[in-house]
Amino acid sequence: MDGSIILETKNLRKEFGALVAVDNVDLRVQANTVHAIIGPNGAGKTTLFNLLSNAFEPTAGKVFFQGRDITHLPTHRIIHLGIGRSFQITNLFPNLTALENVRLAAQALGKDNFRFLRAASHFKRYEQRAWEALNLVGLTDRALMPARALPHGDQRKLELAIILAPDPKLLLLDEPTAGMAAEQVPEMMNLISQINKTSSKTIILVEHNMSVVMNISDRITVMHLGRVLAEGTPSEIAANPEVQNAYLGKLYGDMKKREA
Amino acid sequence: MNQASISPSKFSSRFKSFFRGNLGGWIVILAMVLLPFITSLISGQSISNLLANESGMAKFVQGLAIEIFILALYALSYDLILGVTGLLSFGHAMFFAVGAYLTGILLKSFGWSLWATLGMVLVAAIIQAILFAVVLPRVQGVTFALVTLGIASVFYIVIQSHEMSAYAGADVGLQGVVAPEFINAADHRMRFYFVTLGLLIGMYLLYKRFVNSPTGRVCIAIRENEKRALMLGYNTFYFKLIALTLASITAALAGCLHALFQPIVSPHTASMGFTIAALLMTLIGGVGTLSGALVGAAIYRLLEYGLKNIFGEQATFLLGVVYVLIVLFLPYGIIGTWKLRALQIRSGWQRLIGLVTGKPKQA
Repeated sequence: MDGSIILETKNLRKEFGALVAVDNVDLRVQANTVHAIIGPNGAGKTTLFNLLSNAFEPTAGKVFFQGRDITHLPTHRIIHLGIGRSFQITNLFPNLTALENVRLAAQALGKDNFRFLRAASHFKRYEQRAWEALNLVGLTDRALMPARALPHGDQRKLELAIILAPDPKLLLLDEPTAGMAAEQVPEMMNLISQINKTSSKTIILVEHNMSVVMNISDRITVMHLGRVLAEGTPSEIAANPEVQNAYLGKLYGDMKKREA
Repeated sequence: MNQASISPSKFSSRFKSFFRGNLGGWIVILAMVLLPFITSLISGQSISNLLANESGMAKFVQGLAIEIFILALYALSYDLILGVTGLLSFGHAMFFAVGAYLTGILLKSFGWSLWATLGMVLVAAIIQAILFAVVLPRVQGVTFALVTLGIASVFYIVIQSHEMSAYAGADVGLQGVVAPEFINAADHRMRFYFVTLGLLIGMYLLYKRFVNSPTGRVCIAIRENEKRALMLGYNTFYFKLIALTLASITAALAGCLHALFQPIVSPHTASMGFTIAALLMTLIGGVGTLSGALVGAAIYRLLEYGLKNIFGEQATFLLGVVYVLIVLFLPYGIIGTWKLRALQIRSGWQRLIGLVTGKPKQA
């Protein structure tokens, strides 16, 4: 993988009072890769994500997307550059149908947002784009159900469809399998991997379940107490003794030894 | 352009489905158009007598209906910002009162023509929407409600001030608005009736279209989850500004009609109580349904009129009881609850048909 750097952070730092949630993080993500950020609870993964998607202002440091400084852009501008972000806690329009949830996402980047004398159904391309995104995640048969009535696993897929609809270059997925039943997790991971391969999108995902990301990631960054503890390919990370002590614990190390 | 290529048969079927889909609406419109004539027939007044604007039952009913139409216009505008966009404003009465006072003052004290006055009302409505929108990005939810209450309270005090009394009549209100002769509600009651009805229908259709347009859909998304709407890439401020502006213009027009019809403007129209009236009307009818605002306005005015007739001043207490009961038993309002029930009944029928014909029900 010698692709160009699509996202880069320099000395990114976020303090909440005395707590340093993200401590001088330098992150470089190559285009067209799946890059996982892992770490135990409270490692600062989600805070880092909020900084990348500009939901938070950093205390110090900068974020670059395709070489452009995006540190201080407002939230709603970020998506226009081609960054889609999903949430750890399901964050949908609960009373709107799944289709409308995705259609709104598709419409956002068009030029028809202020056409208020025409019915929305007149603008077919957004609806078509929404069906495509729903098809990609396998939700077409539930498209007309209100989002709140969908089972949790399907809500996570809908979340994915929403950020896919505007066709972003970079997907930021915050624990895409959070709260999912164990048997659904591999399906979701396959889906993510498939999206990365077929449409060559860069994917950054946060997980705290290590085994989930081992198979599909190209690179893994391990965070601990707000700092980057290690970075490398999945096998490098698995072999890293520091990571094993801090995060994976003895159990995983033993498991690996038994496998070997 | 597309329409031109549609064959006549397709057009007529489309027209039929449009007609059937809005059957209830058409019946109400027809009933409203016929209302003056039906009441004159019931009260034994001849049609020529009615057309000559003779006083009687028909004229009185028209007057009551005009008041309802004006209130409906006002409630409709409140539903757009509360029910559709999800902004809780406690300053809505100001939107109405600015239209009413401006119309009264410009016509009476400055002798402006009606059209120039209307233009000025439009400009003022846009300015006050922007005034409200200025605080929008800074505050949300209850804080927005309180800030709008603050702005409206300042206006309420100013309009009653001693300094303004030459124009606005202080706490007595603005008396004797001079409505132009051709639309004078005393002499041309039926004309005023149809102008108000026409404006209400037009505005309602415009609102229906707005809510279903790309812009309106984003307003609904803002009500549902504003943070997510931002994350989708919408600059939610502009959508809230558009909704506020449309609501402000509608409410100011309602106020303008109110000043022309009454023809006095009491400071009550700028008070907190009048904002609560808008809130009540939308709650009774069903928040976010639009048609609920119209139903709510009718019920609100008729209840007030009926109970005041029977019980006098004690009616206010009874009105309160009725509203509490409506909210307790119909938490989604009349239209809202009815829509929910209609859905349940329809799916019930589908299940029954599925049982009888042996076909599996559709998901």
